[in-house]
Amino acid sequence: MATLKPMPAATKISAPFWQALKENKLKIQQCNSCDGWIFFPRNHCSHCLAHDLDWKQVNGDGILYSYTLARIPTMPEFSDEMPQALAVVELAQGVRINTTLIDVAEEDIKIGMAVKPVFDKVTSDGETLLRFTAVNNAGGVSDYVDPLEGLERNESGQVQVPVSNLAALYALADNKFTGWSNTVVVDQELINAFAELSGDDYWLHTDPERAKVESPFKTTIAHGSLVQVLQSRLTIGLPFEITGFKTMVNYGSNRLRFPAPVPASSTIHGRSKVKDISMSHKGVQLTLEMNIHVLGNDKPSVINDLVILYR
Amino acid sequence: MGLAGNAAIVGAAQYKPEKYQTAPQMFHLEQVADLAHKALLDAGLHKDDLDGLVINGPQFHEASVFVPAMAAEYLGIEVNFAEVVDLGGCTAVAQVWRAAAAIEMGLCQAVLCVIPARMAPLAPDEDPAWMAQAMRYGGHSTAFGAPEAEFDLPYGHMGQNTGYAMIAQRYAAQYGYDQAAMAKIAVDQRFNAQYHKDAIFRGKELTIEEVLASRMVADPLHVLEIVMPVAGGAAVIVASKELAARAKKRPAFVTGFGERLSFKSPTYANEMTVTPVAEAAKRAFAMAGLTPQDINAAQIYDCYTITVLLSLEDAGFVPKGEGQRFIKEHNLTWKGDFPLNTHGGQLSFGQAASAGGFSQVIEAFDQISNSAEGRQLEGCDNVFVSGTGGVMSEQGALILQGG
Ligand SMILES: [Zn+2]
Repeated sequence: MATLKPMPAATKISAPFWQALKENKLKIQQCNSCDGWIFFPRNHCSHCLAHDLDWKQVNGDGILYSYTLARIPTMPEFSDEMPQALAVVELAQGVRINTTLIDVAEEDIKIGMAVKPVFDKVTSDGETLLRFTAVNNAGGVSDYVDPLEGLERNESGQVQVPVSNLAALYALADNKFTGWSNTVVVDQELINAFAELSGDDYWLHTDPERAKVESPFKTTIAHGSLVQVLQSRLTIGLPFEITGFKTMVNYGSNRLRFPAPVPASSTIHGRSKVKDISMSHKGVQLTLEMNIHVLGNDKPSVINDLVILYR
Repeated sequence: MGLAGNAAIVGAAQYKPEKYQTAPQMFHLEQVADLAHKALLDAGLHKDDLDGLVINGPQFHEASVFVPAMAAEYLGIEVNFAEVVDLGGCTAVAQVWRAAAAIEMGLCQAVLCVIPARMAPLAPDEDPAWMAQAMRYGGHSTAFGAPEAEFDLPYGHMGQNTGYAMIAQRYAAQYGYDQAAMAKIAVDQRFNAQYHKDAIFRGKELTIEEVLASRMVADPLHVLEIVMPVAGGAAVIVASKELAARAKKRPAFVTGFGERLSFKSPTYANEMTVTPVAEAAKRAFAMAGLTPQDINAAQIYDCYTITVLLSLEDAGFVPKGEGQRFIKEHNLTWKGDFPLNTHGGQLSFGQAASAGGFSQVIEAFDQISNSAEGRQLEGCDNVFVSGTGGVMSEQGALILQGG
């Protein structure tokens, strides 16, 4: 599962650094030509430009070179770390690294203090960021914590996600479908009623006799937009409930497709998944992909990416 | 080595700083022509006198490449010298010395230096949200392979505020930190802004208590120690001595300059509290044959109060570590004994993106040419100007002298 925060995209040059962090080791480069230490990773020595660098494991001991406490998040995605102790650490080898200081009380942060590394597992698949803490703290490895863990649940068992808990919100976007909803039968009577209401009385929907002969489906089919609105009759058990927002706005749809027909008298059911969570000046935007299928058909009859805005 | 002092700023134009929401929207080419027209009128020169152009490349709205050719074509001029400068808040200072150098080399006689910084009109189908998205990362590159994208952004290191804050914190650990002295920089400059008709904070006086009570953004920087972005734009005309003799106003000769780029992120500086302006100012003073004691007014780039403190020290106005004492002991207003940012500085005048650096250059010209209406210094002959780009990454210095 991903994280809401920007993640490093390793390059061919930097991959050994990130791989080492995954293995709870800190590796930086040293120049074989001038013995200089180098950070950030590159192919040419920043002291002599020689193209002759080796990765060396170091223990990560260093000192706090400078820091600030960001009281306003530098990006909204970091609001769960407020105040964030953005720091520059100078390793014993002399190189400096941008990082954050964790588990040190504000009043105990002193420039020049000795620090040691924390291998912070930020995703469930082990992606690791290099943070630092005071030498008398435990240090070592900080295990991945599922941001949904420990949140309350309501009577229906839905995990309660406050709209302000961005990490938990983002954890919802796991691309996993819910279970199937109840079923609804789309019979000719329902189709006729919709034809009358919408004014769309095309024979393919409303004339079973003609459809038997001329329709490629050998029967009438439901209007795509009918099946779309029948979503309201399908109870889909979302595993979460978002709480603590001022307003919730149905922002419309990012994508609406009718890939498979729904022949008259079909039984339909649906399911959904959280496709995306994003932040904008408008608030938190949740994209819920609704799929409606004819029972037994793998191909959905409706795909609807509903956009809901919370603020 | 350096300039002989045979080129001068002879005219200037600067849009009144305005909030983005209410400022007129103009294409950048249109702003270039408008600012050029106004600056030429100020100088008493004609478009056909222009034979050089220095412009900003990044953030130019109508093109990302071939910017000088497109602008020259729009202006209807042919030039012997065309240059794009990409030095953030140092761009204005850097444009002026490049123009002066080109003139002294005999390449040209009059150079338009220009940075448009009003918003361009949105295209009919353009979503203004892209702008908020683009501004999210400040000066940090998000490109694949950019060290910042890989080693800064995942930790929340981005934008300018926290970088400057870390420099200030380290300064505090090395030399001590006097919040009231830092606030006084903003307060004295705000006083000056009351005497500039275009300053965005004109009519809003400020006290040290108000600065210290304002919201802490990143320790130790309060929001009132941080510059406010505005829409604007500016241009100056730099001309040869011969043309300057025809100008309407007293020219401001460019007698010294320096430029220094030391790093992109202060994390990788040799020492984050020793700033590039140290080298730039040393070179500028030596070139002009002046010392900091000869300066009548200092127009110091002021994106943050800490920028001013470090620039005053590193440019040689006060020894390292004694800046805060100096600030408390001196009246920094235009009425005082150490006139600093006599237009209010960008903190009180407003920061029109990279054109903000022109506010300092143009204030120096206004003071030297006796055009600083309502805040005119007496006998202002020698002015020091600095520019700062990035996070104290790149700095420039100019010495301007009345002829
Ligand atoms: Zn080397």
